[in-house]
Amino acid sequence: MVNFTVEEIRGLMDNPANIRNMSVIAHVDHGKSTLTDSLVQRAGIISAAKAGEARFTDTRPDEQERGVTIKSTAISLYATLKDAEDLKDIPVKTDKNDFLVNLIDSPGHVDFSSEVTAALRVTDGALVVVDTVEGVCVQTETVLRQALGERIKPVVIINKVDRALLELQVTKEDLYQNFSRVIESVNVVIATYFDKALGDVQVYPDKGTICFGSGLHGWAFTIRQFAARYSKKFGVDKNKLMERLWGDNYFNPATKKWTKSSQHEGKELERSFNSFILDPIFRIFGAVMNFKKDEIPKLLEKLEIKLSGDEKDLEGKQLLKVVMRKFLPAADALLEMMILHLPSPITAQKYRMETLYEGPPDDEAAIAIRDCDAKGTLMLYVSKMVPTSDKGRFYAFGRVFSGTVRSGLKVRIQGPNYTPGKKEDLFVKAIQRTILMMGRNIEPIEDVPAGNILGLVGIDQFLLKSGTLTTSETAHNLKVMKFSVSPVVQRSVEVKNANDLPKLVEGLKRLSKSDPCVLTYIAETGEHVVAGAGELHLEICLKDLEEDHAGVPLRISDPVVGYRETVQEESSMTALSKSPNKHNRLYLKAQPLDEDVAKDIEAGRIGPRDDFKARARILADEHGWDVTDARKIWCFGPDTTGANLLVDQTKAVQYLNEIKDSVVSGFQWATKEGPVAEEPMRSIRFNILDVTLHADAIHRGGGQIIPTARRALYAATLLASPGIQEPVYLCEIQVPEQAMGGIYGVLTRRRGHVFEENQRPGTPLFNVKSYLPVNESFGFTADLRSHTAGQAFPQMVFDHWQVLPGGSPLDKTTKPGQVVEETRKRKGIKPDVPGYENYYDKL
Amino acid sequence: MSATKVAPILSTPDTHVFGDPTPFIDVQSLPKLSDEQLHSQYEIHRTINEITVGGWKRIALQFPDEMLVDAPRVFEALSHGLEDARKRRKISHSSSEDGIENHDSGRNLVNYMGKLGIASEDLPEKVYILADTSYGACCVDEIAAEHVDADVVVHYGRACLSPTSRLPVIYVFTSKALDLEATTDTFIQTYPERDKKIVLMADIPYSHHLQQLYGLLQDEGYTNIFAPSIIHDPSSLLPNRTVPNDIKQDADKLHPYSLFHISEPPTSLLLTLSSRFESIYIYPTNSSSAFSLPSTRPPSRNETTNPQPLAPATTTPLLRRRYALLCTLPSVPIIGILIGTLSVRAYLPALQRIRQLIADVGKKSYTVVVGKVNAAKVANFAEVGAWVVVGCWESGLVDMKSGEGGGGRYWRPMVTPFELEVAFRGEAQRVWGGEWKGGFEGVGEEKGMGGGEERDGGVEGEDDGDGGEDGDEDRDSGSEEESAPPEFDLRTGRYISSARPVEMSSNKASNRGTKRGNGHAANALIKRATGDVARIGGEASPGAEFLRSMRTWQGLGSDFEIGYQEDGATVEEGRKGLARGYTVGDDDLRK
Ligand SMILES: Nc1nc2c(ncn2[C@@H]2O[C@H](COP(=O)(O)OP(=O)(O)OP(=O)(O)O)[C@@H](O)[C@H]2O)c(=O)[nH]1
Ligand SMILES: [Mg+2]
Repeated sequence: MVNFTVEEIRGLMDNPANIRNMSVIAHVDHGKSTLTDSLVQRAGIISAAKAGEARFTDTRPDEQERGVTIKSTAISLYATLKDAEDLKDIPVKTDKNDFLVNLIDSPGHVDFSSEVTAALRVTDGALVVVDTVEGVCVQTETVLRQALGERIKPVVIINKVDRALLELQVTKEDLYQNFSRVIESVNVVIATYFDKALGDVQVYPDKGTICFGSGLHGWAFTIRQFAARYSKKFGVDKNKLMERLWGDNYFNPATKKWTKSSQHEGKELERSFNSFILDPIFRIFGAVMNFKKDEIPKLLEKLEIKLSGDEKDLEGKQLLKVVMRKFLPAADALLEMMILHLPSPITAQKYRMETLYEGPPDDEAAIAIRDCDAKGTLMLYVSKMVPTSDKGRFYAFGRVFSGTVRSGLKVRIQGPNYTPGKKEDLFVKAIQRTILMMGRNIEPIEDVPAGNILGLVGIDQFLLKSGTLTTSETAHNLKVMKFSVSPVVQRSVEVKNANDLPKLVEGLKRLSKSDPCVLTYIAETGEHVVAGAGELHLEICLKDLEEDHAGVPLRISDPVVGYRETVQEESSMTALSKSPNKHNRLYLKAQPLDEDVAKDIEAGRIGPRDDFKARARILADEHGWDVTDARKIWCFGPDTTGANLLVDQTKAVQYLNEIKDSVVSGFQWATKEGPVAEEPMRSIRFNILDVTLHADAIHRGGGQIIPTARRALYAATLLASPGIQEPVYLCEIQVPEQAMGGIYGVLTRRRGHVFEENQRPGTPLFNVKSYLPVNESFGFTADLRSHTAGQAFPQMVFDHWQVLPGGSPLDKTTKPGQVVEETRKRKGIKPDVPGYENYYDKL
Repeated sequence: MSATKVAPILSTPDTHVFGDPTPFIDVQSLPKLSDEQLHSQYEIHRTINEITVGGWKRIALQFPDEMLVDAPRVFEALSHGLEDARKRRKISHSSSEDGIENHDSGRNLVNYMGKLGIASEDLPEKVYILADTSYGACCVDEIAAEHVDADVVVHYGRACLSPTSRLPVIYVFTSKALDLEATTDTFIQTYPERDKKIVLMADIPYSHHLQQLYGLLQDEGYTNIFAPSIIHDPSSLLPNRTVPNDIKQDADKLHPYSLFHISEPPTSLLLTLSSRFESIYIYPTNSSSAFSLPSTRPPSRNETTNPQPLAPATTTPLLRRRYALLCTLPSVPIIGILIGTLSVRAYLPALQRIRQLIADVGKKSYTVVVGKVNAAKVANFAEVGAWVVVGCWESGLVDMKSGEGGGGRYWRPMVTPFELEVAFRGEAQRVWGGEWKGGFEGVGEEKGMGGGEERDGGVEGEDDGDGGEDGDEDRDSGSEEESAPPEFDLRTGRYISSARPVEMSSNKASNRGTKRGNGHAANALIKRATGDVARIGGEASPGAEFLRSMRTWQGLGSDFEIGYQEDGATVEEGRKGLARGYTVGDDDLRK
């Protein structure tokens, strides 16, 4: 039975010091959902017998079938500390031993990283799960980095310890070494992304920020728990003991003294962690798994574990599970770690405010967020949309950062493009209902104060994926989330029956809402395109589209990648274009933009909304730009945000400002579809060298300038040794040594190249990192598995753009030339790339 | 300092005046038609006959640009011919009416007839060449003809045959030669089955060959061929062609037919027909338009010894591109209506309906006449997000991708009224199955489709708070009404909040109106809530809004706000005085 009511939860909500918002994050299959089960079980939502197998937070049928989490799922739980004395150890004064834990289980597969981002945004702490055997993997690193970027405090659980004991049959000291290595790797990542505001958030077993356990068997412990146990038994100070139970600390039974040295009078001493903590565990495992029937009861008695009648009849793993779960219940360890060491919203919002809020740090909204003020202006961030049972409608899932939201409250809904004072992306609407997200269920709730996670009904038509809700007319947006993945793989879909088109269109809209990362649009060619982060992501999206959102039979094309057009040199001569009336001339040159600058633009570090002086400083100091040039950036494009720049290098041109808008329009147009294959341009810097204009305003209007700017930009591009860029994945493969050979062959055939290879200490596993063009990645996983007898498992995440090697795209005999021709044919345009003369006018 | 001594340039300096950009064409080098060819190609005799029979006196000749070279000779031929005809008539006339004195000078005749009050039957005809066409060459330019007060227009070249409203028209299609044998061979190769249902059509300059070809094919044993003849009805099932009676009853009967079309049809015709036929085969005549240079000849029998079957023409990619184009419309706030014709009957009611369609979905429309459409002209209207072209069924379809070398491509989508209608039909009804219509006839006439898209309320319907809420709350105090949801832009996959500017603000306007209905509404100051659309004369004006919020250059002086230009020129004393002679400072010297 559920051991709490919605009323109780609502009561806790008013007390932000007793709230913990946290995400469970990790590499794929490291056991997040399984661990979450033990917490869900503790709350009485599922039975103990099912915990570990139910994966309660995997709510979709395909998540259950595939055994992989796809969507992040939130659940609110009521929790108490076992020992109320522990309240004293919370850094911030807390009176009541009742806690509200809002927990989000996130997916581990890279393709679904955007779900992790959306989860992290609304939480303050993260439980990082690491598999003992596999250790820290790419995705562990990625999600950890993202968490730290959002100023989310991590705690760690080293999971699947049962495997180490049962499968690898390690010794106690081996296991200790394994633990320390994993911890060290985690700390290396944390140290790399050190953020002063967050302070030192490295994890230490002796401080209780690391937990060890097995989600599947439902047990886990922290050193603190053992310290508490022994301190009572031996009457020693708990905190002193904690420090002694990890690291090079030894207890000499002969002298009854603690020592730092592993030897005493020539005799090996056992490490305290091994003797005090691992020893009882190893004994239980040994006794139960070796069926030492007579030893078991003695052991149980010593450890004060009581079994019920029928449990006594169990054997082997079944018995092991029950015993371990009674000995070291996972929920206790996890809750203790989370409650003691993860920040409450009050604590967290103090330092998160400046990274969360776009506006000035001293305005009304900023202060309300900083203070987590339930009575202040409402500031609520919607981080994703969750489908309801009502087809086509969604709950807006988010977090109240300040104020209180309730049903019927009229709010301002600010979309991602909202800027204060403008009307774009601004809506006013009353909230219909506020709800509590409980895994697959929801519970209505009257109102929700600052610091809590919730669902909203009735605003889904106003926000596509995410946005800010406020009651203040002056509030800026909460920062738009930056995802670590991009939709680089595309497939086009069409209906089998023309009359189903409306259903497809409706379905695409819904699909695009249901996933933070997926992109759906109609290409120039009239195809409906669905773009996702990877093959798996697209597969899931298209399945949802066909079976659920659209519900009509579809024809789905093979996956293709989107290319980018770039330049590799400066234009060989100045490109000149004349306006249709021949009275205006534009002189332009194109040159490659530094890859670093392009990446910074794409990552949002350099952008059109920046103050132009600050931006110029960054460009000058970090990227060696001329300061004057850096201040004269007219615009970014395509879409006013892309990684191409238009720079004004003219000297004293009359009426120049008058035509700026027209040139910018032409630039947006040209960068959206380049001259080579009508693909977007990337990483090009255009310099306007000179402009001659007609003296009469009517002869230099938009009609004369916009098409001319586009032509001049095209000519400049074609004169600057154009190149085609393709997206490249970073691919990490875990593989046992004997299967290594297979992966090299597969990678080489697919134009991949390995740049790092290392063995995971203490295991036969190798970690191979490589770059693999996205275009070559289709079917890669299956291919790899068949060549390694299913032992290699790749994780691929978009990493960078690279120029397609093999020659000029203008030459049809080269590989890039063929790609261009194919693309042009697919788009139904002339297969030949027009020469620059088509856009270039002679003087 | 020295730089600013120079007076600002207020006119184009000589160095910037460019030469005439039009490439020079040496007229002499163009191939010349013999007199005989001229007579037959321009059907001089038939024209003269029709003019005489019609009794028209002022005749306007409309040539497409490509044929203008021949215009003087056609003019000559016609003038002479008409004079001859008149002379002949006079002779017969005078012989029948002996009592009247015979005058040879035309002017005397006029005077004389004027005196007698006789109809000016035998006035000399006046012939005019219309030098330029205002819209498409395929349309009869009635306006230009009215400038010369013409009684009749002779239209040369291919025509869209759209009905005219003011003037009678003589169409001269300027027929072209066709190698009938080669055509027959290709036909046989293409259609092996003799009982196949086939419609035989030809582009207008080739249509006079059809009867003959029809005969030849019947001789070959084809039993189910139909060769329609030309009528003036663009909205016919086969535009401008007759339709067999049984098919007229039931358009579906056309489906089993295959179309064999001689010469490349205009794109709009192809799109129109593609959904109506089972398949379409186009017999190329190597001249995409009807007036290409004579060097391009259709393949004759000797050249292609082995006639190949034709490949069926496919319009799918083109239709897809049109679909992408029209899908931009729902998210665009301002739509321009471009008048591509003034000569076609019934464009006014159609214009009205199109405006209504646009208003119904909460958008603003501006109607613009620019004459012949080109990219530069329409790009001058930066605020307009898309254009709908009201033109004849042929010229209404603007090829977005054409003109790369010259005037450049169109910046904003250009769609036909039919496409506009499909776009605004609402996503729940929008299908794109191949049906396509050119022209504007019938657009917006269907009942029940004009209402725009349905927008649904919340999960459980609208909340009921709205009714009582208004109570005594003052609207002016800045409280805002609930907004309409944004539009999902299918092209980009994003939400667009400004897609329905008119609808949004008209709600507010009407609310305000009722609030302070009694009297002083006109002079009360209205607080502009942030987020209101600019209004002109009380009406929402997205155009003004665009200028206010989207344009960075706001006139002289605003330059200083453009961030990076910090170091302006040094201020110095300017000139003053009378226009007769200015002085600088205390300097007495006049400048
Ligand atoms: N031996 C052992 N297996 C475990 C443990 N925890 C999880 N597993 C197994 O590991 C597999 C993956 O577990 P999940 O909980 O689905 O992993 P996850 O991290 O949620 O995976 P994703 O959400 O797909 O990233 C399942 O087969 C579990 O049974 C554990 O502690 N010990
Ligand atoms: Mg999972």
